Amino acid sequence: MIEAVSLADPNIPSTPSNTLIDDYPIPKSGYDEMYAAPGVLRSHWRDLARFLEETGGEELERRHAEVQRLLRADGVTYNSYGDLRAAPRQWRVDIVPLLMTGEEWSVLAAGLEQRSRLLNALLADIYDQRLALRQGWLPPELVYAYSGFLHPCHHALPTGSRWLIFHGVDLARGPDGVFRVYGDRAQSPSGAGYTLENRIILARALPMLYRDAPLRRLASFLETERATLAKLARHHPENPHVVLLTPGPNSPVYFEHAYLANYLSLSLVEGEDLAVRDGRVWLKTLGGLRPVDVILRWVADAYCDPLELRGDSLLGVPGLLQAARGGHVALANALGSGFIENPGLAAFLPLLCRQLLGEDLKLPSLPTWWCGHPDDRSYVLAHLERLVVHSILPDQPRWDGSRLDAAARARLVERIQAAPHLYVGREMLPLSTAPVLEDGQLTPQPVMLRGFTVVDGDGYRAMPGGLARVSSGLETLQAAVRQGGISKDWWVLAPTPQKHVSLLRQSYGPIFVTRDGNDLPSRVADNLYWLGRYSERLDGTTRLLREAFGRLLEWEQDSTDERYLDDLLDALDIPTPPVAESPRARFFALRQALLGPMMDADHAGGLRIILDGMLRTGRAVRNHLGDDSWRLLNRLQQRIQELPAHLGARQARELLEENLMLIAGFCGLNNETLPHHQGWLFLDIGRYLERVLRTLDLFHLAFITARNRGVSLWEVVLTITDNLTAYRRRYRSALHPTAIIDLLLFDEDNPRAVGYQLRRLHRHIGRLHQASSSPYRSAEERLILEATATLQLADIEALANLSPNSTHANAELSRLLEALRRPLLELSDALTHSHFSHAEVPRQLIAMQPQ
Amino acid sequence: MKYLITHRTVYHYSSDVALCHNEARLLPRETSWQQCHPSRVTIRPRPALSVERRDFFGNRVLYFVIQDIHQQLEVTVATGVRVLPTRQFTESSPSPSWEQALAALREDPDPEIIDARQFMLDSPFVVAAPPFREYAAPSFLPGRPLLEAMADLNRRIHREFAYDPHFTTIATPLDQVLAERRGVCQDFAHLAMACLRALGLPARYVSGYLETLPPPGQPRLIGADASHAWLAVYVPGVGWAEFDPTNDCMPGEKHITLAWGRDYGDVAPLKGVMTGGGSHSLEVSVDVAPQPEEEEGRLKVVNL
Repeated sequence: MIEAVSLADPNIPSTPSNTLIDDYPIPKSGYDEMYAAPGVLRSHWRDLARFLEETGGEELERRHAEVQRLLRADGVTYNSYGDLRAAPRQWRVDIVPLLMTGEEWSVLAAGLEQRSRLLNALLADIYDQRLALRQGWLPPELVYAYSGFLHPCHHALPTGSRWLIFHGVDLARGPDGVFRVYGDRAQSPSGAGYTLENRIILARALPMLYRDAPLRRLASFLETERATLAKLARHHPENPHVVLLTPGPNSPVYFEHAYLANYLSLSLVEGEDLAVRDGRVWLKTLGGLRPVDVILRWVADAYCDPLELRGDSLLGVPGLLQAARGGHVALANALGSGFIENPGLAAFLPLLCRQLLGEDLKLPSLPTWWCGHPDDRSYVLAHLERLVVHSILPDQPRWDGSRLDAAARARLVERIQAAPHLYVGREMLPLSTAPVLEDGQLTPQPVMLRGFTVVDGDGYRAMPGGLARVSSGLETLQAAVRQGGISKDWWVLAPTPQKHVSLLRQSYGPIFVTRDGNDLPSRVADNLYWLGRYSERLDGTTRLLREAFGRLLEWEQDSTDERYLDDLLDALDIPTPPVAESPRARFFALRQALLGPMMDADHAGGLRIILDGMLRTGRAVRNHLGDDSWRLLNRLQQRIQELPAHLGARQARELLEENLMLIAGFCGLNNETLPHHQGWLFLDIGRYLERVLRTLDLFHLAFITARNRGVSLWEVVLTITDNLTAYRRRYRSALHPTAIIDLLLFDEDNPRAVGYQLRRLHRHIGRLHQASSSPYRSAEERLILEATATLQLADIEALANLSPNSTHANAELSRLLEALRRPLLELSDALTHSHFSHAEVPRQLIAMQPQ
Repeated sequence: MKYLITHRTVYHYSSDVALCHNEARLLPRETSWQQCHPSRVTIRPRPALSVERRDFFGNRVLYFVIQDIHQQLEVTVATGVRVLPTRQFTESSPSPSWEQALAALREDPDPEIIDARQFMLDSPFVVAAPPFREYAAPSFLPGRPLLEAMADLNRRIHREFAYDPHFTTIATPLDQVLAERRGVCQDFAHLAMACLRALGLPARYVSGYLETLPPPGQPRLIGADASHAWLAVYVPGVGWAEFDPTNDCMPGEKHITLAWGRDYGDVAPLKGVMTGGGSHSLEVSVDVAPQPEEEEGRLKVVNL
């Protein structure tokens, strides 16, 4: 039984009137999780009810807002496929947990474990002996017409291997209080990562509730998962290499993949990071190929191997199925296990359970009728108004029979009769309700649960809890959260308070040690390099824009010389606005032109385009950035993408100013957080290569091509590079071009100077891992050497006479800048060629997809 | 009949291929009417790994991977095969009416019939649709024995469709083949299968070879020196009966079976996924050479 443990926060004064719980509008029918009947609070909710009451609606709303803020800061979102611009859907978490007693849980857990054993046994049969078909326990049409049955997966596992390692089950409680299964997930059973994240964030927002609460903790389940994955390895049982295979940052649940990889200390890889050679799977790293023993697979079955499965897949690894068949790599779950997601199986599970396991099915499914059977079909057609009709094929619409008009109903009947074996009818039961906080009030909302099991020894083990969500019972989990669903933490109560195990401390720390260095996937190195370039580009463009707005404002106030604004527009690649009739008109025209790169989402070279690049590459290396860096990147995204409709020059300048701090924070944190191994080297090379190219461009503009060369523009150069103070301290004099050149071109100790930047690049490039052990310098080493030597051998005498009118010195500077620029531009291609070799995508010999 | 079959495929690439995974279904399967000697397989460059297995349908599959950089891939399979004149059916063999066959497929719990039911379903290349049922209707008259009806359909396809290797590719949809009344052996096999499936009957695709040396006095058969394809229909209580709509016949000793499946996609002779390679060109040659028998007289048997 549950001990009475005070969950009340002593710091919160209790509200005078007990309204929150008393005002809960208990539904008139159905099963409510909190109330057995009006006035009859279920006893296991007592402590939580008291806590909620004592906290009060207002304070709960504050905590709720805090939870949403934490979620957003952590970037817990569902992405829309491939669209960086679409505002990521907010994954909302209700702060009222869903409670379940330990007794109820053990019954449910036994049912879940049995279900996993049963479905594993079914997979082993269906991809081998097919006794279930030959004995007539399962009709062949239900098996073979289902696209999740994959012929190439016949005998895809060595005998005795387990098909189902990890299993997600959608459940809901009906009006009778009985749990029923709504669906099974084997291919990418989403939710475990969100469950963890919810628990961590709620514990942070409601420490008084969570600390020492009598609830079962999740950590040991995840520990079992990690141990089970390691045990699947045949080749390196003592130190297996386990990777998590994701479709990539465009997947709507990429956040979860990155999160779980971190939590379980796995390499997060995409299909193109892997190759099959000699019958084994290898990870392509900077240091060469590294063997992979186990793949936790979050790519759908059909997309995993373009040789034997879908030939048009770019997410898979050619030869993967053969490698698995040979037992040289273990997949969790095995390829082909998506077969159990067939909703029609529900009608046959009681019989299959008796035949395959010799047991009665403990956990019922939602009552299901398969239309391939004449009697069931008649039943479905006669009771359409009470049923929901599903196609057994994935991603097909569902028809809620109670909402169809006569015409739609006739169309559905026609559909079913044309191919009855493709349809099932399922009874629509009202879901149980649970309290959800809305505007400071508790309201009952229907909930659906997703439970999880994982292999544990010879059997399975269920996660104590899982993901609860507000649901109509019709939509899938992915659809629900993509539309911005509400989730809840699902508590399984324990008899005594359980120590809160800090999941965060466990999950962070070792990750960078194992990930960086020579075993870094070359795709990750590529993305880090471009992340470095984009972040520096964003910084440079923001600085130029800030300077331009600043000068614009000064001019407005003092009517000083403003002609160099045209040169700033050139630097920003903005066409000069036509000559204006009045200073006022010119001000507005210039302001409008400068707002383009800030406001316009498609402005080439504008902030939003650069940010897209940062987000794309940043998401692809999500696991390599610190959490604080990640939060800063999310902040930056909000600030750049969510601008007010009308922006004044002053406001724009302030925004840019603040963004600069965020960018500096992002780059600085990366410097302080990432160990300075291979991954960081690429990030830093990207940043400094971008910076040196921009610095050269700025020089070229200020001294060679500017329309209004002279002191004002030199000052602009110094402010943009934030070196005005350094100049003044060093020279205590008016601006002199030769001094500026020395400070920003030749100085090897000034991070804003080309000399320093080249030296830094030279040092980093020398530290990059080289694939061959050739005694000669690599192409990138030769190029950076060329640039460095060019600078060091420059004709300083000639440059000393630099002034707006000295043709010789200007020509010499122009020649020098060009001689520096060329090898640096080539350097980027050389890096790509030497280190980012994943770029080549496998293709089919013959296009095999029928039209 | 005894044959030596040599099937040679050469791919030329315009640039280097670094890695290539392949699956070949070029090893003939053993059946009650076909015996195979061990095949001689030559692959250049030498594969780093090659493994033979049986697929879902019992076909022999050779998986191999080339890990050396190459610009040309050559696969040659030579197999000695003896085809016995023991295939059971002629079109006048007794068979149930096609309606009785449908009823048996619905109700009979015989494991062989349960197994055949998978071939009633649509597959990627063969999707049953009303136009195929309409095309089949004149052959499938009420109460007509299944084999007789199918033989009639076979004859009509042969008569009404033009053999035109330039008209179709693997990807040409079947309704276009039906509309234009032209195609190659693979299209005709798929078409007949779509007709059968549209009626609710199980049909499977057979890939293989055909001896094309014309016996004296007989017309030359189409499909010379190439892979060939035909189909089989399941007759409840009797078994699978093969039909070759390209040549209006029931396969006999001249038809050498390689593999079978739901459609072409299950039995493509050679497929692969490569890294690199640019564009490629393909050369295929097939040689079906009759071999002397111990008993000379057997050579004269013609099973048409």
